[in-house]
Amino acid sequence: MSAVCAALAGDPLLQRHYADFCSKTEAALDPVLVALVRRAVAAVHGLGDAPDEAGLDAGTRAALAYARRIPFEHTAISDAEAAALVAHLGEARFVAFSVLAALADAECRAALVGLPALAAG
Amino acid sequence: MSTIPRVSSALAGEPPHFAAVLAHQPEIAQSFFALYGRFWQSEVLSARIKEVARMRNARVTECGFCRNVRFDKALAEGLGEEVVEDITDGYETSAKLTDAEKAALKFTDALIHDPELLNGDARAALQRHFTPKQIAELGLGVSLFLALAKALIIMGLEPESMERTVLPTPAVLEPAA
Repeated sequence: MSAVCAALAGDPLLQRHYADFCSKTEAALDPVLVALVRRAVAAVHGLGDAPDEAGLDAGTRAALAYARRIPFEHTAISDAEAAALVAHLGEARFVAFSVLAALADAECRAALVGLPALAAG
Repeated sequence: MSTIPRVSSALAGEPPHFAAVLAHQPEIAQSFFALYGRFWQSEVLSARIKEVARMRNARVTECGFCRNVRFDKALAEGLGEEVVEDITDGYETSAKLTDAEKAALKFTDALIHDPELLNGDARAALQRHFTPKQIAELGLGVSLFLALAKALIIMGLEPESMERTVLPTPAVLEPAA
């Protein structure tokens, strides 16, 4: 369970809504890619090891490189980098990917600030 | 930062703004707006505190769209522009922001920028001004503000220019399933 979801234990309604939003976002993408993106973003924050990219196709490796920029370089991603990812994923999945990677970053930051413990009192 | 949309609108006749682009994924869009409405209409934490945190996130992430939008519920709770102007670096010395708002801002900075900022004094202030349930809601809000701002920017949805715009506060759409 993510740090944000865990912190909402005292508010089951909001927790359900948040979990639904996350699950709908993940369901729009290949579960393997979802897991890789979450691990790649977490590794940028020092939360675990980066995923093993051996055997991954070039498009997936490019997607992970893109995801790794979101925590600290989101304003520096170029139109060309984005266009390459749109070409690989298609527009609809690019939208889901953008939301997923940005959420993954926020969830890592919520964990690093100790949100679940703060919310537990 | 690009102001050229990187995704087309999925809504006929609409320019590629956030909702029109998110419509490429209708289930995500529906779930997000249900969550966001429930969050904003919850009375656990005031809309004013939520808006203070959202404004800080807008400035730190450089989200011009977020920075120029105001939600009417926070305005009705007294969050005028003279207060918003102080939500910048050095807010700690503002005479217009309350101590609770400064504690929420420090937490916001810690979550979106540097967790080390939530040191002993900042943590104690946060816990003095807010209940655990309020902190959970603030944490949800800041996480959503951050993720949405970054998603908006990386999808190229930053406006070239934008007037300050007061919008209705997101409303509850439907009960959670």
